[in-house]
Amino acid sequence: MSIDALLRSIEALPLSAAVRGELPGSEWLFPIIETLHVMALTVVVGSIAMMDLRLLGIASRNSPVSRLSNEVLPWTWSAWCVAAVFGTLMFMSKAHTYAANLQFQLKFACMGLAALNMLVFHLGAFRRVEHWDLDDPPRSAKLAGAISLLLWISVVFFGRWVGFTVTT
Amino acid sequence: MFRPFADWLATTAVSRTLADQPWVVPTSQSIHILAVSAVFASAFMINLRLLGVGATGRSISQLSHTLLPWMWRGLVVLLCTGIIQTLVEPVRQFVTPAFWAKMVLIALVATMTALYARAVRRNAPLWDAASSRPPRAKIFAIVSTLMWLAIIVCGRFIAYTWSMYA
Repeated sequence: MSIDALLRSIEALPLSAAVRGELPGSEWLFPIIETLHVMALTVVVGSIAMMDLRLLGIASRNSPVSRLSNEVLPWTWSAWCVAAVFGTLMFMSKAHTYAANLQFQLKFACMGLAALNMLVFHLGAFRRVEHWDLDDPPRSAKLAGAISLLLWISVVFFGRWVGFTVTT
Repeated sequence: MFRPFADWLATTAVSRTLADQPWVVPTSQSIHILAVSAVFASAFMINLRLLGVGATGRSISQLSHTLLPWMWRGLVVLLCTGIIQTLVEPVRQFVTPAFWAKMVLIALVATMTALYARAVRRNAPLWDAASSRPPRAKIFAIVSTLMWLAIIVCGRFIAYTWSMYA
């Protein structure tokens, strides 16, 4: 099955039709799903920014990095899962349109790079966090914080732009 | 009563100039969402701490001292970008009850947050010890979280309801 046929078969699902508001009583489903996506993404982006600003030495400087990470990241991941569930539902409603949308592609490229950046940080500077937990973070950690902040700001911009370029 | 004002605002030079630039609204809305992220994530962490379910490694006064300035900065950015969006599309904002509900909720929750900030600043030890913390702390945590969520609902629903009233 080609990717295009797969995307169109996703769109043909009754759930996808419901998200498009085509089933009786489902007229308000898309706005509700989008609102829940926004609620979750604000927690994702806001909590990641807390971590990034700490790594940059701008905020929460009196908190050890490891403790901040333990406090904040479980909420980041939980909220990310919520955002992903509702994001998937929106994607299903117009799968082939979103897949072909440049802003949508750039958004996911930025999230992929953010994941890579996080992996490099966790396998690198964060493994020696006990040596700099309360100090000014090392240069590689600052770089990871700056890259993460820029990428997540880009994710929000591209995400908002998807709404202006995908028309009903 | 606000409709004539909105119609007049839409004819002003500043509104027309901004409306002529197609990038203004998406850019302003993106910055608006980033500011919502700063405000809501900060409020959420403080409220989780007040409820005793999150951020327990830091005291309430310490956490509030760190996060409240970001909430105020975020609210200033929200006000500025909100004004830009209102200037470009005044009718869209003023006709829908979702906009007015949002404004009332923001005024209320900002006042509640300012009162909370003052109370913690004035008597940090009282708020930091679970035994002496006022019972209204948990009520504030639950009510203000629900209000922020309602504000997000209203904000998103301006876009989906205004054409019903215009």
